[in-house]
Amino acid sequence: MEPQLSWYLALSAILFTIGAAGVIIKRNVIAMFMCIELMLNAVNLTFIAFSSFFQDVTGQLFVFIVMTVAAAEAAVGLGIIIAIFRNRESLDVDDASILKL
Amino acid sequence: MTTILFILFAGLAIGCAIGVVSQSNPLYCAISLIGVFIALASLYVMLAAPFIAAVQVIVYAGAIMVLVIFVIMLLNVEHLEPRRKRMKWLVPAAIGMAAILVGETAFILYSVQTAPGRIPGNVSNVGLTSSIGTGLFTKYLLPFEVTSILLLMAIVGAMSLARRTSILSPTARVVPGVQVLPVDFLNPAAGDDNRPVEADTTAEAARLMGVRFQSDPEKRE
Repeated sequence: MEPQLSWYLALSAILFTIGAAGVIIKRNVIAMFMCIELMLNAVNLTFIAFSSFFQDVTGQLFVFIVMTVAAAEAAVGLGIIIAIFRNRESLDVDDASILKL
Repeated sequence: MTTILFILFAGLAIGCAIGVVSQSNPLYCAISLIGVFIALASLYVMLAAPFIAAVQVIVYAGAIMVLVIFVIMLLNVEHLEPRRKRMKWLVPAAIGMAAILVGETAFILYSVQTAPGRIPGNVSNVGLTSSIGTGLFTKYLLPFEVTSILLLMAIVGAMSLARRTSILSPTARVVPGVQVLPVDFLNPAAGDDNRPVEADTTAEAARLMGVRFQSDPEKRE
């Protein structure tokens, strides 16, 4: 029995939900960032699965663009994390709930 | 055979994903996340997307995670802060969302089975690098250019975020001699005023910078 499209979609849904739960549960801002990366990868899996099963290259192109967005997010997000740590001496998001310094 | 491989890599991905959420040390989270990326790259190879699998390993597991681990080790928060009192309604909300996940997964597994499967045909060249490049530079040129603008904005944003702030650290020292400093270095409220401020003596420069200055070298440690 070959792997069906629905198997990949179910795996993607599970990974996305684990990532979303991590964003809610986690208090460390770096861990939240990594859970967002996990959610992005779950969406990428959906794109690749549809691209493979419908023989269309568009899905893989969008995975490429999503990866670029993730790289940009990593650069800016980690810069923001370092700036927060420099100001507050903490990585807890509850300490950064007020936007003013 | 492919079914066994799918179950293996899917189990690895789910296990590592649960590891990402359940670990309390961010470094172990990062290592588990690398495991997820490797498992997903293997699944991409099974889905006939070798180029995306290679990019996944190189860009995600290589570049992005090295950046994340670099930041984790740079900040290096050792002490784990005690878990604070959380909102009471979060637990029932989490249970409800888990129930929604189970329902969604069951729906996908048993109702979408009727969707068309793999379209029979000859060996396709969908996943090859040349077809991706052709699509990227012809039909989807505009998203490609927008992405390049986004990367440029990310570079500028990261540089402006990582720039040194004007606030001096308490351990700052004044080197002897005539000091020429920009106005915005001394007074952050001055904004982009780049006119130089000259100090004739070292003591005056120290007073301008707000740093304690000791003229006797013997007293310095």
